[in-house]
Amino acid sequence: MAEVSLRHIEKVYPNTEKKKKGSKSNLKVTEEGVLAVQDFNLDIKDREFVVLVGPSGCGKSTTLRMVAGLEEITRGELYIDGVLVNDAAPKDRDIAMVFQSYALYPHMTVRGNMEYPLKLKKMDKEEINRRVEQAAEILGITEYLDRKPKALSGGQRQRVAIGRAIVREPKVLLMDEPLSNLDAKLRNQMRAEIIKLRQRIDTTFIYVTHDQTEAMTLGDRIVIMKDGVIQQVGTPQEVFDHPANLFVAGFIGVPQMNFYDAELVRDNAGDYAVKIENVYIRPSDEKQENLRRNKVEPQSITLGVRPEHIVLADEGENVLHGTVEVMEMMGSAVHLHVNFSGRDNIIIAQTMSLGGKNPSHFGAGSTLTFSFSGDVIHMFGKKDGKNLEA
Amino acid sequence: MKKKTRRINGMWSVIMLIVSVLYMYPIFMVLMNSLKIESAISTSTAFELPTAETFAGLANYENAINAQGFLSSFFYTAFITITSVLAILFFCSMFAWYITRVETKVTKALYLLCAFSMVVPFQMVMFTLSSMADTLNLNTPWVLWVIYLGFGAGLAVFMFCGFMRSVPIDIEEASMIDGSSPLQTYFHIVVPLLRPTMVSVAILEAMWIWNDYLLPTLILDINKYRTISMLIQFFRGSYGRVEMGPMMACIMLAILPIIIIYLVGQKHIIKGVVAGAVKG
Repeated sequence: MAEVSLRHIEKVYPNTEKKKKGSKSNLKVTEEGVLAVQDFNLDIKDREFVVLVGPSGCGKSTTLRMVAGLEEITRGELYIDGVLVNDAAPKDRDIAMVFQSYALYPHMTVRGNMEYPLKLKKMDKEEINRRVEQAAEILGITEYLDRKPKALSGGQRQRVAIGRAIVREPKVLLMDEPLSNLDAKLRNQMRAEIIKLRQRIDTTFIYVTHDQTEAMTLGDRIVIMKDGVIQQVGTPQEVFDHPANLFVAGFIGVPQMNFYDAELVRDNAGDYAVKIENVYIRPSDEKQENLRRNKVEPQSITLGVRPEHIVLADEGENVLHGTVEVMEMMGSAVHLHVNFSGRDNIIIAQTMSLGGKNPSHFGAGSTLTFSFSGDVIHMFGKKDGKNLEA
Repeated sequence: MKKKTRRINGMWSVIMLIVSVLYMYPIFMVLMNSLKIESAISTSTAFELPTAETFAGLANYENAINAQGFLSSFFYTAFITITSVLAILFFCSMFAWYITRVETKVTKALYLLCAFSMVVPFQMVMFTLSSMADTLNLNTPWVLWVIYLGFGAGLAVFMFCGFMRSVPIDIEEASMIDGSSPLQTYFHIVVPLLRPTMVSVAILEAMWIWNDYLLPTLILDINKYRTISMLIQFFRGSYGRVEMGPMMACIMLAILPIIIIYLVGQKHIIKGVVAGAVKG
């Protein structure tokens, strides 16, 4: 259990190889080198589960490795439980880490792997046994204790890796994409296991993933990163409902949010409306208030609407027309890829709400009418992509 | 198509069989002659199998062991081989681990230097080496491992580096987070992982050091210390007379341990040499 504070943390890779990599991932390059992580500020509370999420090369793993002590911190301060640990060796930080590749010791049995960190601490044999057996029981790997890692499946290996981390009862448990090597079914299963584990052990978690579903389901708070910069920090609901910018809006949510070119206009009474094609949509009162508070001027904007917030509508006023390109039958819902104003949009239609229409009714080439209300829209500035309400 | 492939395979088998016989024949000849009496080993009779009249039993072996101080030579050879191999394994694996994990211009240069040392023929450096060994008092069997370490490092570092590159660094990082110091990581994690490569390096280096003739002859005081390879030439007496029977027996005794080591560890040689070549 511990609080972790990252203050103005930066990581610069001076060597040329990273520079080449950096140029591909739009990382900022200075005279000093490639800025893999820029001005990272975050206070993680005791027993909090924080998830760092973002696409490849966004700096999330680098940040985690800096917390672990595996990567040097170029600038900034890292505190664990109020103690500055910038120069402390990994073993002196009282942290444990679960790696994507499991990183089990192949020549040791499961028991040997789990005992290893405790033996290094010169812990009492009985205490070692107690902790190993307890962790094995929590993770359901008691029967595999005498096996070598090569005799285990991917899921079992990942449990052992988690077991090796939790036997130490560390202040902070770091997890670097622990589920990425597992197949989809096992990943869902292990995700649930981690949620259960979190309830059973009292520790602070920092979890890195590129999978937004994992981030949404596991984290108390999510830190969304891009090109070494934090884009938004918030609870899963906050980042879903109020994305700070276009990147977050597109990254969080599956399928991803639909974006349209639109105009934000204002009438004489001071009320805002969004004009898309020839349709006017009035933002909700709350959104009106936010826009007024931020003194937003009428301008060209990018309008974002989540696929599940779009409804199929009958012909009439204030409806939009699109052409179905692909129809994906998902069982309880139909995902319709609709060409609207030259872009591919996704509309999720619940099969129950189709009003008796057969899903095959939406074959490729058919036109449909749809609409969305003013309380589900997200408005982003064209220039900087920032949410105009934020 | 299948028939053609089978015919080609058959041809290759015959060719390889002939090559094997060519390789094995000298050893067979030595073995055969080591069991013959002295008078039956001449230029004209050397290729004949022993007969009832020419069969000497193990007399030549007894002679080889008792005369010329075979046991002390065996001890020196074994001592030099074991200490050198241990030194090569310890220093080179640690060095390879370091230069693989810490990538700087210096470590890259050191790696290239090691690889380069493999292509420098011993004959090019042997005289300066011999004089340097005298100056540094490295001319006894007890410290000869220092010189063998230098000559064996090229191959060993090359093989260890090849393997280390295939080992994910995560394992060592996990060990560091678990509380290991770099030395504990080396001994607890890296050495067990390197074991197959260590076995193959040990066998290759042991075969070379055990059989080496030129280096100990140049460095050691021939009147005090003789390795088995050096001892063999002492079966040549004055006026060109050679005790062929005991010499052949001595050769057989000299190569026997190394053949046993090779046979026991041959699968590790293949495993060790190809380790790191492909993604596992």
